[in-house]
Amino acid sequence: MNDDYQDLIELSDFYILSQRYDEAIKVLKKAKKIKNTDWRLYYNLGIAYEALHEVNDARAAFRLVLKLDPDHKSAQEHLDTLIDE
Amino acid sequence: MKQFVVIGLGRFGSSIARALTEKKFEVLAIDKSEAQVKAMEGVVSQAVVMDATDEKSLRELGIGEFDTAIVSMGDTIEASIMITLVLKEMGVKQVIVKAKSELHAKVLKRVGADRITFPEREMADRLAQSLASPRIFDFIEVSETYEIVEMAVPKKFANKTLADIKLRDKYRVSAVAIKRKIPYSTPDGSTDFKEEIIVGPGGSDEIISGDVLILLGCNEDIDKLKNL
Repeated sequence: MNDDYQDLIELSDFYILSQRYDEAIKVLKKAKKIKNTDWRLYYNLGIAYEALHEVNDARAAFRLVLKLDPDHKSAQEHLDTLIDE
Repeated sequence: MKQFVVIGLGRFGSSIARALTEKKFEVLAIDKSEAQVKAMEGVVSQAVVMDATDEKSLRELGIGEFDTAIVSMGDTIEASIMITLVLKEMGVKQVIVKAKSELHAKVLKRVGADRITFPEREMADRLAQSLASPRIFDFIEVSETYEIVEMAVPKKFANKTLADIKLRDKYRVSAVAIKRKIPYSTPDGSTDFKEEIIVGPGGSDEIISGDVLILLGCNEDIDKLKNL
């Protein structure tokens, strides 16, 4: 189960790096059904949503990252930028 | 280096003084309130407590040598008119004034203001525009009929070249630039992105989902694109 989750997160990294953000979101939604307490899941979701300018979803995702890891600097920076927009 | 004087350090005046300083310009900030001036000390090049309606003091400060003056005394209409008149008489090349109403603006034009600004109205127009068309991030009115907009690409344009899309022939707009987020792996193994701008893109440039197009066209043609 955990291996499947890890594979999906890695696949989402690959899709993000290939600028295939819609596909990254699809696999992250699958991953969320397996485990929903990992900040990496929400961070990648935030990145993919932000790339697609879906700012409300991106903000919500980065807020969840900060809930799980309050010291996550990059999530805070992305959130600040999205609030300024 | 261009020199600016900002008269009136309320919300608009202090914001513009800060923004100009951040852009490395020399800024002289003036207000009659000691507290407002104190708040700008160390932020701008020079901050002075002074009643700007006092012509003699303005002359002593050498305001006539400044390239641009920004008068932000929206609440005291009489003072802003008087200051504008004096600044023009002193030879300030460009005087930009915050106006409170249409009538105020009309009088300011008569006394020589070079540009009138209604910050709240302009901000409201931008916000209304972005709420009406969420895919439009910014716009500049080039003329009454032409505008430049920053627009998220419609999904149907993704993975096609500009030549395939036929922006100019079919939609009668020109792509001035493409803003793109370039993803990369960070040292800690996660992903992030940086922004890249492709200026003057050619027909062979491919559009990627998430790109922002900077387009020039007439309002009607841009409106058609917004609805795609």
